[in-house]
Amino acid sequence: MISSGGHGIFLQDFGLSLDNSHPKADVVFVSHAHADHLPRNRSCAAICSAPTLAFMRKRGYKGEALVLEWDTPTSLTSIRQHFGLSPSGVHSHSEATITLYPAGHILGSAMIYVESEDGALLYTGDVKTPASPATEGVQWPNHVDELIIEATFGLPIYKWKDTHNIQQEMLTFAQETLDAGETPLFLGYNLGKAQEILHLLQPLKHRKMIHGGGYPYCEIYENAGFTLGEVEPYDRATCEGAILVGPASVLSSGFASNVQRLRIAQCSGWAALGSRRAQNQLDRGFVLSDHLDFFALLEVCDMLKPRKIHITHSPTPDVVAHFLEERGHQAQFLELSMQEEEALDG
Amino acid sequence: MAEVTTQSQATSSTSYSFREYCEGLNHVEWTRGTKAKQGHFVEILRDIQRRGTLDELVLACRFVSEGAFDPQSGLTGRLGARSQGLWVSEYCGIDYEKVFKPCRTATGSGSEAIELLLENMSPPSSKSDSTNKRPRWTLLDMEDAFGRMARARTSSQKKELFDQWLHELSPLEIKMALRMLGGGSLRIGFETRSVLQAIAAYQESSLDQIRYAHMVTGSVGETARLLFEDRLQDASFSLFRPIAFMLASPVDTVEAIDWSAVRLEEKLDGIRCQIHANADRIELYSRDLNPLTHSFPEIVSTLAKSQNLVGYSFVLDGEVLAFDTPSKKILPFLELQKRLGVKKPTKKLLQDVPVVFVAYDLLVIDEKECFDLPLEQRRAQLVELCSHAGIAYSRDFAVGSSQMCTQAFEQALRHGNEGLMIKQLGSPYAFGQRSQHWQKLKEPEGSLDTIVMYAHAGSGKRGGLYSDFTLGVSVIDDDRFSESYIPIGKAYGGYTNAELARMNKEIKKLIVEKFGPTLSLRPGIVVELEFDSIQVNSRTKAGYTLRFPRFRAIRWDLGPDDVDSLRDVERLAQAKSAIKRPSMDTLGESAPIIMPGE
Ligand SMILES: [Zn+2]
Repeated sequence: MISSGGHGIFLQDFGLSLDNSHPKADVVFVSHAHADHLPRNRSCAAICSAPTLAFMRKRGYKGEALVLEWDTPTSLTSIRQHFGLSPSGVHSHSEATITLYPAGHILGSAMIYVESEDGALLYTGDVKTPASPATEGVQWPNHVDELIIEATFGLPIYKWKDTHNIQQEMLTFAQETLDAGETPLFLGYNLGKAQEILHLLQPLKHRKMIHGGGYPYCEIYENAGFTLGEVEPYDRATCEGAILVGPASVLSSGFASNVQRLRIAQCSGWAALGSRRAQNQLDRGFVLSDHLDFFALLEVCDMLKPRKIHITHSPTPDVVAHFLEERGHQAQFLELSMQEEEALDG
Repeated sequence: MAEVTTQSQATSSTSYSFREYCEGLNHVEWTRGTKAKQGHFVEILRDIQRRGTLDELVLACRFVSEGAFDPQSGLTGRLGARSQGLWVSEYCGIDYEKVFKPCRTATGSGSEAIELLLENMSPPSSKSDSTNKRPRWTLLDMEDAFGRMARARTSSQKKELFDQWLHELSPLEIKMALRMLGGGSLRIGFETRSVLQAIAAYQESSLDQIRYAHMVTGSVGETARLLFEDRLQDASFSLFRPIAFMLASPVDTVEAIDWSAVRLEEKLDGIRCQIHANADRIELYSRDLNPLTHSFPEIVSTLAKSQNLVGYSFVLDGEVLAFDTPSKKILPFLELQKRLGVKKPTKKLLQDVPVVFVAYDLLVIDEKECFDLPLEQRRAQLVELCSHAGIAYSRDFAVGSSQMCTQAFEQALRHGNEGLMIKQLGSPYAFGQRSQHWQKLKEPEGSLDTIVMYAHAGSGKRGGLYSDFTLGVSVIDDDRFSESYIPIGKAYGGYTNAELARMNKEIKKLIVEKFGPTLSLRPGIVVELEFDSIQVNSRTKAGYTLRFPRFRAIRWDLGPDDVDSLRDVERLAQAKSAIKRPSMDTLGESAPIIMPGE
């Protein structure tokens, strides 16, 4: 039922492509708006959540999309009809029911749940449980036969601390930096992490500036009810003394280089590793990931008890499979061509 | 002068613990700037001063810079990386091959993988939330534990000791303890030089005096002890304790040199060596201060036979060269390389690659240290000693202009030497430092067009990008190989941020396979690689390695067909060896080496 390879995951029976536009796909499910999950074909017929569509529009998606509400089963036929496609059940396409569940990764990130005669399949996209704070939360269906789950952090060296504790540390770091007359810079990528940082620092009520690449997404967060505080786009002339947020690439771009004293904090799951810490340039590393850690991954599998588990987005799928098999699961690696992009988000 | 309690091991609950020390070092790691790091380390020392003993202050200085053991003690307690991994895997109930090894690959560090696995996977009875209930070891307890590890003879004895660590120390302590035990860097960006500066600040003492004490004791811990006991003046040199070598800086601009204030020597391409000798004993030491005596028995026996040495004691700095005595010719470094690392050379090897020691500086004579004497005075005594004892030494000379320097440089290359050393008159021997008083003018390096074969995820500040690259040369038309390219070296740095970004974009299109932090790539990107020299290395597929390879340019204009071949590498290596080296006898006044006593 699942085929994967150079065009991502393709559910042939349903003409449905997951996070990638397979040439034979009628409809593409977009789990969330990160570049490595967006369809390469910018005008394909897509289904996704409302915030994801809003982000996609900002990122140049021109096609026709159907927004599905959370936890609201929709028949594949009605989706196909929406796009003017032949109903399912005729020709080669089987009927199915499609439901989106929030995935807790970034705002709008969704899992897709496909129920059909063949059983129930859940594809997580990028997922975080417990959910990242600036998201709709995470919700799981009750019954899953086949699970396709990401394992970006698929090693037992990755175990996240409670976000609330990290938030306290981040607030303290920012406050101490400001008190010392210096300027805090938090590193997080432009869509998702940057807004999460702003949201977590919101209790500080201090003026904040975000890299121009991340600014346009902020209003979508605000519209969805996540307050980010007093946020302006980065302005070199006035950035000193503000709380700054920008992607790691700003370190080599001259961003805020006019500021007398910057204190720089990395906010990423990769901060868990000494070798990834960019030590010479960093004052702090906050292990703030928007992917589930290794232990949460095992818990999810134990909870859902799928017949079969497919692991994606993992540099170490063998380790995940080994642990899952030890716990009585059947697991295998699902190779996708987009693997290599993943290192950029964390 | 610090007031410290001198009673033996403190046992009260307020005593300073190894755990606090490791947490303090963690703080040092996460502090930017050398000065600020030193400040935090001084705080650690003050804390120990309040609550610990003088011995613990000494240990705090030793552990952070030299590791578990005093370098002069000769103790080592190395635990094999595999043993550590196996024992931690057993303790955490994980599979070594299937789980531990991938974790080590991902972190790029065995000790860090161990720390994280212990934090996340320790058996329930010893979970890290109970860390606070664990006993607190003092620095003295830790020294004792290191000592026991060093004395343990069998693997099972070591395992028993390590198991105790696993049960009683926190994951952070274990990571630090393993790094200390290995004697390598703690990787907190705080090394010996900074420690010495910090203790100077701590005691408001003269850094020069502390550095001198460190040089002659060869031990940070011992230096700290002398300092804390206010006995720095007791630090004195002793024979058969090697002294950190003085190193040369590359010449900035030849035009800027005042030729009336320098002496020149030809730069010999050999193995740097320090000789300590008295009537009873002769020892040779390498640049990293390890014994070389057994590697070069003929140097020892020649010296020992010199009747004129009776009653002398001295320390010489110089170079071991491959040298054919009958013809008086220096042999190429490629020959000398055959003796590198050979601890017990065979008779045949001794015959095939004869060596000679060529002195160029005198550090101690007859118990008197000469470091602080100006170059010309050391030189005069060196010439006197060498002439008397029949030891070869380098010829030094003056030039009057940059033009003459260039001629001398070209002559040195014709002699088969590396270039010139330019030494400042009046300068002291700056042990352990890369000094501007010695400058080296070297032959231009070679370069090769190579193909990028593998990309490795960067560490440090390039984190997140692929910043290290394995480069290959072509063997497409080479019958000896079935593949198209083979590795010749690994390089990082030398590119701009923009180039690295482009490189990272381009390699995405070339990925064949990914293992851990490494990508294997299709041939596509050509890098012009610069290097100091080519060395024979039979352990590599190419049979050669490049010394100090670095990027000169990413050649976006070239493709895989333009890459240099292994044959080109071989030609370059041979060309250097093929220089017709003159006999010292035929050179007369211009001979780079003077061989007295014949
Ligand atoms: Zn994502």
